[in-house]
Amino acid sequence: MSVQAFRLVCASEREQFPQGIHIECLECSGHDLYLGTSDCVIYHLLLVEQQLSEPTSLVQQTDQPCTSFTTTQQRQRQLGLKKPICELRAASALSRLLVLCDNTISILCSESLEPLPAPKIRGVLTFTLNENPVSGDPFSVELCLISSKKRTVQIFSVGQERVQLIREVATPEQACVIAADGLYLCLALSSRYITLNYNTGHCQDLFPYPSDQKKPIVKWISRQEFLLAGPSGLGMFATVAGITQRAPVRWSDNVIGAAISFPYVLALDEEFITVHSMLDQQKKQTLPFKEGIILQDFEGRVIVASCNGVYVLIPLPLEKQIQDLLSSQRVEEALALAKGARRNIPKEKFQVMYRRILQQAGFIQFAKLQFLEAKELFRSSQLDIRELISLYPLMLPSSSSFIRTHPPLHEYADLNQLTRGDQEKVNKCKRFLMTYLSEIRSTEVANGYQEDVDTALLKLYAEANHESLLDLLVSENSCEVSDSASWLEKHKKYFALGLLYHYNKQDAAALQIWVKIINGELEDSTRPDLFEYVVDFLTFSRDQHLVWQYADWVLQKSEQVGVRIFTKRSPEEYTQNGFCPDKIVSYLCKYHKALLLFLEHLVLEKMLQKEKYHTHLAVLYVEEVQRLNAMDSPDIEQVEMQRGRLQNLLRQSDLYRVHLLIDKIKGTDLHMERAILHGKLEEHGQALDILVHHLKNFAAAENYCVWNSEGRDTPYRQHLFQLLLSSYLTFASHDNSFLVAAVDLLNNHPAEFDAASVLRLLPENWSVQLLSPFLAGAMREHVHALRMSQITIGLAKAENVVYKQEKLNLREKPIVLSDKKYCSVCRNPFQEPVFVRYPSGQIVHTHCATKSHVNSSIGVHLPKPNKQT
Amino acid sequence: MSQSHDRVAVCIWNAVPCRGERLDATGSKDGRPGSDVMQRLWFQTSSMKKPDLKLVLLGDMNVGKTSLLHRYMERRFQDTVSTVGGAFYLKQWGPYNISIWDTAGREQFHGLGSMYCRAASAVILTYDVSNMQSLLELEDRFLGLTDTANDDCIFAVVGNKIDLTDDYDSESDMEGERPRTSSKIRKQVDLEDAIALYKRIMKYKMLDENVVPAAEKMCFETSAKTGYNVDGLFEGVFNMVVPLIVKKKASGHDETVNLAQSKPEKSKNRCC
Repeated sequence: MSVQAFRLVCASEREQFPQGIHIECLECSGHDLYLGTSDCVIYHLLLVEQQLSEPTSLVQQTDQPCTSFTTTQQRQRQLGLKKPICELRAASALSRLLVLCDNTISILCSESLEPLPAPKIRGVLTFTLNENPVSGDPFSVELCLISSKKRTVQIFSVGQERVQLIREVATPEQACVIAADGLYLCLALSSRYITLNYNTGHCQDLFPYPSDQKKPIVKWISRQEFLLAGPSGLGMFATVAGITQRAPVRWSDNVIGAAISFPYVLALDEEFITVHSMLDQQKKQTLPFKEGIILQDFEGRVIVASCNGVYVLIPLPLEKQIQDLLSSQRVEEALALAKGARRNIPKEKFQVMYRRILQQAGFIQFAKLQFLEAKELFRSSQLDIRELISLYPLMLPSSSSFIRTHPPLHEYADLNQLTRGDQEKVNKCKRFLMTYLSEIRSTEVANGYQEDVDTALLKLYAEANHESLLDLLVSENSCEVSDSASWLEKHKKYFALGLLYHYNKQDAAALQIWVKIINGELEDSTRPDLFEYVVDFLTFSRDQHLVWQYADWVLQKSEQVGVRIFTKRSPEEYTQNGFCPDKIVSYLCKYHKALLLFLEHLVLEKMLQKEKYHTHLAVLYVEEVQRLNAMDSPDIEQVEMQRGRLQNLLRQSDLYRVHLLIDKIKGTDLHMERAILHGKLEEHGQALDILVHHLKNFAAAENYCVWNSEGRDTPYRQHLFQLLLSSYLTFASHDNSFLVAAVDLLNNHPAEFDAASVLRLLPENWSVQLLSPFLAGAMREHVHALRMSQITIGLAKAENVVYKQEKLNLREKPIVLSDKKYCSVCRNPFQEPVFVRYPSGQIVHTHCATKSHVNSSIGVHLPKPNKQT
Repeated sequence: MSQSHDRVAVCIWNAVPCRGERLDATGSKDGRPGSDVMQRLWFQTSSMKKPDLKLVLLGDMNVGKTSLLHRYMERRFQDTVSTVGGAFYLKQWGPYNISIWDTAGREQFHGLGSMYCRAASAVILTYDVSNMQSLLELEDRFLGLTDTANDDCIFAVVGNKIDLTDDYDSESDMEGERPRTSSKIRKQVDLEDAIALYKRIMKYKMLDENVVPAAEKMCFETSAKTGYNVDGLFEGVFNMVVPLIVKKKASGHDETVNLAQSKPEKSKNRCC
């Protein structure tokens, strides 16, 4: 309750009127105020508005002038009857004043109050002027009256000099109160209200009222809508169609008069003037006013009168009312009022005002921790987000130039004041800001204040140890560096600090921080795998200088992981000076393991075809194997693995310097490797000798033959296998296992041998049984080869026959050369009996044929020459 | 002469906001041009969002009309005081605005009922399941009020306070804050009674039973206290009513018949 919507101002004190005056009715039109009294006098006063500006206004933003009214009496006129004046109506456009006295309407000049010769209307109970006349004639007014005797209503057109009855309509009962709008009259009958279309005579019941209760009230409020006093003190709204579109307002039981002043309904009873809002039907203000008899609005100005005084109800500016509502935390009412006022205020002004109100409302909701509502209000009012951030101490970057708007949108200095230090509330507010900022930071609300928003968000995240801190820093952001940095340091978010530096292109600073964390100088457990992170960071860093600066540190930490800064670099960087492989290799010679990994990367992954690297890698492998072997208790598995790598390299690569390696492994037990190296030198005899006699590894020997002959022709392969076989056979007499190996070799690879020469090699005493798989296989292979070649011969012969037949066909017919024959190329006759004939039958000169040989298609295009002569 | 000339000009200029001759005084003499005009314009143009159709809750006092509406709109139950006159809510339903009128059940406001019902598209007749009289009152007192409703008005009969009766399974609701839970009242009105009433209403309205929605679909038992079936009621009725809006919009003519006749004056007004 208790909004101040109106101020009651005295316009004319009793001292201004003669003693014993009793006002019966009044009319106000512009500055003209007319009073009718019980003793038949009409007073004409001038109502003058005075603006007194208030010098001591603290609260008001706009220098609201304080209005008051004074009246000066112009004229008065005694009509000469002993009856009271019942109604006064001014028709200012016509300079006329309509007076109802003693059931008679007379017309006076509004200036002089002189009666005019125009006819009087008699037998009038009460009358009204149509607020919204249909005729639209500006030189007449439409007067609607209730006849005092005939149970009719009459409509008159009143001009400056004439009065004309337009229509007379009977009413179901005697009416007592009337209001008019367009073609409609709203009437109070003895116990109910009706609307009446005076054109058609159609009656529409509205609702009954208890006839014993009081004087009915019918008040025109807007086009086609009336306000009526209903049962139990209800103010009912009704349209001419008999529909109610607004909920009723609740008055006291004995309302004397009602008036409208947007958006309020005012009602006068014996003790008070009450103000209800039409927007929410709530009572908004009560002004004590005793002995009031008249409450009326005249073109928006509400005047209330007692029997001897006239007062004006001045509406307070809407802004002021809204501010009052807001300052008493009545957000919804304030918004309803503001919204309701939309059409009442110029658009631009309204938008500014309304936005401000929304913002204020938002802060009120915010202070109540009603975050959802607050957010909606902030959002819809496009609040400068810094207003909100500035409530939180230290959240705006120190560089921010933000100053809160004046006048302030709220009364709070900061969050601590708002929450009165309640830490839990503070945290809630912070969480709210966090979500709100994260929601809006990518929207246009944050436009222009990106830095403030992001910095505040960073601070909130850091403070709350929120995981989104990192997301914020790795994505696009505008965090203010120095302010954010000191904040992150304060909250020991060193990793994040590094990210901040990195985002702001200060990679060196970032690395410095991170290295400190890894070295244990700073404590931040955000990333347990920070070292690998740093390695990746260096790997993808374009800053050569930085990479080389930290390369030693990284490699000292872990060669295995650290070498990734070289191996995982993007390939195009190898071609640049800073990271050319030679430079890296020479740099890495301090770091044995890293060097090995790097060379592996070059040779095996990058497939760099450079002898230097291949040899280097092979040597390193060898050294590694030797190192492992030299250990007190060599780990067999690891040695095997290492050798496997070495062997693979030796087999697959053709680039390394074989002799160097052979020297290198001379005197070691790396036989397999030696065999491979010999194989590379085509010294298969030696190689197989090692494999067969030193290692007795027959499977490896067979394998050797297979991979060494890969991609070579059959004789080469057969040569290798035969070498192996003979190598077996050499020792077969001493050792049975060689014999078995030889037999197995033959039986398993019958196709790899030249059977004839093999048979010659074999000892006489071997049984056929023993070799039967080999023999069968070899036979099959030979027969197959034989048949294949027979087929090939057959096909070749057939082809030959086909060509021969073609040749014969061509020779079959004679070619007659006459002087009618022309060369198909040059179109000239033949001079000599020498010509060339194409298979298509065309004949040409020999020289033409050699020329046109280039373009062999010519024969096809030429017409076929006639061969018959 | 010149003076009258002056006035004419002012008159015409001001004649547009349809109050013709009375406005000129303010416009010409008063120091506050326009503010008054603007206020009146506001009244003419904005009745805020214009409702597309009207729904009215009728029923004897104390059956829970306000509580039902409050439960539906505010999603909670609140002790209400006796409604004075009537109250009004605007509900956005899809693209439509539905105005819902909560009427006063008290005898003294009975006279207003007809006006509330005028041009209504749906009427919800509410009774109290623990009070047979409240059902009888619907037929005796309230049915007559609906004579002013639209011809195609939809009726629903709703028995409220079902939570009070022994019929209602109270497991799901109530945190036992009231002793009433244990001492349940016998249900006085069965759903069949409501259905029978609905059929009598249709007969009274002289509507073909085969055309109108089935009685079983239009009779509800609800509890504003627990929220039981409240959404079902309102949403059911809204869904039934929306086709009426569509129809009304399609036919393109306003239900408030008499308005049309006063329109021509507007064009007359703009004589120049």
